[in-house]
Amino acid sequence: MTRMMTAIGALLIAGTAQAQDGDALLAMSWDEIVETARGGEVNIFMWGGADTINAYVSDYIGGILADEYDITLNRVPLADTAEAVNIVLGEVEAGAGMDDGAVDMIWINGENFRTMKQGDLVWCGYVDKLPNASLVDFENPAIANDFGVPVEGCEVPWSRVQFAFAHDTARTPEPPRSIPELLDWIEANPGRFTYPAPPDFTGAAFVRHVFTHAAGGADALVGPFDQEKFDAVAADTWEILNGIEPHLWREGVTYPTSITQLQQMFANQEVDLFFTYDPAEIGTAVENGIFPETAMSYGLSDGTLANTNYMAIPVNAANKAAALVTQNLLLSGEAQLEKAQPEIWGAAAVIEPSRASAEVQEGFATLERHPSVVPVEELGQAALPELTPDWTRAIEDGWIRNVGN
Amino acid sequence: MAGSATSAIEVIGRGHPWLSLAPALCVIAVLFGGGLVLGLAGSFGMGRGGAGVDAWIAVLSEGRVWRSLGLSLWIAFASTALACLIGLGAALLLRRRFPGQGLARLLFQINLTIPHAVGALGILWLLSQSGFVSRLSAGAGLIDGPAGFPALTQDRFAIGIIAHYVWKEVPFIGLILLANMQSLGDDPESAARSLGASPFAAMRLVLLPLLMPALIRAGAIVFAFSFGAWEVPVLLGQSAPVALPVLAWQRFTDPDLATRPEAMAIAMLIALVAALLIRVAMVRR
Amino acid sequence: MSARWRLVLGLMLVVASMAPLLPLGLWSVARGWYFPQILPATWTLEPWARALSPRSDIPEAFVTTTAIALAAAALSLVLGIPAGRALGLYRFRGKALVELALLAPVIVPGIAVGLGIHGVFLRLGLTNSALGVVLVHLVPTLPYVVFVMSGVFANYDAAAEAQARSLGARPLQVLWHVMLPAIAPGVAVAGLFAFLVSWSQYILTLTIGGGRVVTLPLLLYAQAGAGRNDQAGVLAVLSLAPGLVILALVARRITGRGVMIGGAG
Repeated sequence: MTRMMTAIGALLIAGTAQAQDGDALLAMSWDEIVETARGGEVNIFMWGGADTINAYVSDYIGGILADEYDITLNRVPLADTAEAVNIVLGEVEAGAGMDDGAVDMIWINGENFRTMKQGDLVWCGYVDKLPNASLVDFENPAIANDFGVPVEGCEVPWSRVQFAFAHDTARTPEPPRSIPELLDWIEANPGRFTYPAPPDFTGAAFVRHVFTHAAGGADALVGPFDQEKFDAVAADTWEILNGIEPHLWREGVTYPTSITQLQQMFANQEVDLFFTYDPAEIGTAVENGIFPETAMSYGLSDGTLANTNYMAIPVNAANKAAALVTQNLLLSGEAQLEKAQPEIWGAAAVIEPSRASAEVQEGFATLERHPSVVPVEELGQAALPELTPDWTRAIEDGWIRNVGN
Repeated sequence: MAGSATSAIEVIGRGHPWLSLAPALCVIAVLFGGGLVLGLAGSFGMGRGGAGVDAWIAVLSEGRVWRSLGLSLWIAFASTALACLIGLGAALLLRRRFPGQGLARLLFQINLTIPHAVGALGILWLLSQSGFVSRLSAGAGLIDGPAGFPALTQDRFAIGIIAHYVWKEVPFIGLILLANMQSLGDDPESAARSLGASPFAAMRLVLLPLLMPALIRAGAIVFAFSFGAWEVPVLLGQSAPVALPVLAWQRFTDPDLATRPEAMAIAMLIALVAALLIRVAMVRR
Repeated sequence: MSARWRLVLGLMLVVASMAPLLPLGLWSVARGWYFPQILPATWTLEPWARALSPRSDIPEAFVTTTAIALAAAALSLVLGIPAGRALGLYRFRGKALVELALLAPVIVPGIAVGLGIHGVFLRLGLTNSALGVVLVHLVPTLPYVVFVMSGVFANYDAAAEAQARSLGARPLQVLWHVMLPAIAPGVAVAGLFAFLVSWSQYILTLTIGGGRVVTLPLLLYAQAGAGRNDQAGVLAVLSLAPGLVILALVARRITGRGVMIGGAG
């Protein structure tokens, strides 16, 4: 009870924390940064929809921060990452003091990162300061580019995810394993498939798979946005998607509004296929009783999109030193290994295990996986690079205008 | 402490009415008025360098906005009409004594205290194609699977949304009417009946006109709420068109910050339409 | 209509009122309850154990929600009672305009002003704090309190105060011994409904609290949005609690005059 009252008290005075100047921090050594951070707090704003992820951050990361650095980690759950971007933007627009923002760190990627980078809302140029950054291969284009946007030291990678489908082996033993097979399957199984309407994140990713298929492969879409190419591919894409519409759930008159609605429909046997941008979620859903144990995730033979997600520090963050210490901890071999454990989260690491300690290497070598989750290696054999935000935005808008009306 | 207590008494005790009104008016002016003014300014792109009507032109020339407006108007009109009708029936039912009347009245009020989010989730799990009623139907052999059950949530006609508002607001309307009936007493109707009017005519010609002002006031509140609420259509609505408040929120949280003035413009449109329609209803009375 | 018909119709009304609560309650004690199971195949108290465990956000959110709703209700009463008294007892120029201004927040949807209020609060440094959330909850709660209290004061005999004063009572004594007892039932109803309206807020809490102020409705949408129906069920049942308690306490009183309120929370 007292603890809760203190928490409410802390909320009431939030925002008055000691300001920290980014440039001054960059001039310090790592040890000095750690000393500056000691005894402070860090406010991490992140999507809060999964207990496993929440527990990993609050308990495991928060525990180490408290024990070793005396830093208090406040995890702020979001329904949508854009909310955090909006908070930072609002603060910067209102001209609030430069170093007393409420947000110290955001779990982010894609268009939200692009918005922050273009709007000078994100703090850059500190990555070299993090000792554990040496574990990351920043030459890897999949890490150096966030949905095609060069990262350029403005955020630090956290996990890799790759899109995967899921079926119930008891109900649909032979699911379609490529986009063309899926399109045929939909026609043969009317009413048993649908996808969430963009701007839902996962629904938009599904549409990008069809778009990539219509373009004849991912290689055709690499690089900056090209209106002519877009117009040509988009016309085919809308034709395909409008063509399958009569065979979709509710004849395509309406679409699920969120990936959660599709998840519930899959669980309730309203549709036969599910998909997710984080295959570990299938294992979690089985553990939580949402999906039956016969639910199984799988990849596509023509590849599925993969992306990296990151942690970014807003330019006006009040606790930049503590945020740096936290980012360094997130990149440590031990923390990345813990995160990869199936019962913890099952998220793929962004570090090169070969650069980590022997114990960590051993841990990654003997990592088990949830029986319902497709192995990372199997999925990774056909990973497609994500399109740049200009492409994804144009595809979303085009879908809404041409398909989803 | 003593000083502030005395001044509080002056305000409450005697004083000029304006003195007593000032604190409440100030709070509403700053929070509500300030919010409206800044929302309006935001819709004209102020506070981000330029000022212009771009967002308004974009919003008003967009077919999606008009379809959303149409949907929200349909939701509000249908919910208000049904809630008023059923609320009136419930009030007429509950004003006379019958066994269990006290308990019925008590249970009838529970909905008033339930948050909209809770009610909407309950309606979703009750009426969706794989919800409780659908499962009962499947258990009784009436349908083969979820697809056999009619689409009552996330559907084209916003049935789920309307069902929620009716469910939630019938007790609101009903209790206001009950209170009014109690203060009117039986006299007006019994007078009409003693002059030879049938019970139905007495109700329609005597009681109903007397209840009308309260019914319109309560209906206006229901209309405004069901027109502008985000919590319910976001759970129970379909993908397109979405209710106008959902569209405003989508634009407000869009990663592309250029859409924020549009969000503000849609929000102002919601305020404008709600205020206008209610003004019309009040004047017609 | 015969009493029997009234009983049947009354029963239908009650069943329709209660029906949506049934799946909420069932989910809070179920695991993996999906089509075509009519009742959960697995009954379990695990959702409750998890919700009440030290790791859970729910107990703290319960306290936060209660504290915010108490503060918002108290503030609305402090501001709303004098305003209601002025509107109920006096006739003055511009009264209709004042009534309109104070009723406007009920008519103009919350989302329309919420986005703008966010800008106001940013400038005042009130975003992301419980204090800011309490203040923004006044927008929906204050109008209800003002109008309940103006109704109460319209039936209030101010002459009793003059009488007490002429007998030598001091202002504080008049307030305490004359006015308060007369308006107490109305104050209770207004306060309880202000509490419930604040308790139910989502969009204003999210916009102004910026996710830092975690209340039960925020957790409810988060869990429902993540497909954790069992946790959402627990949160839904918990969200019902104060309403049920209040209703039980004031069951008799509420059927009286004080029902000009509620509903559009």
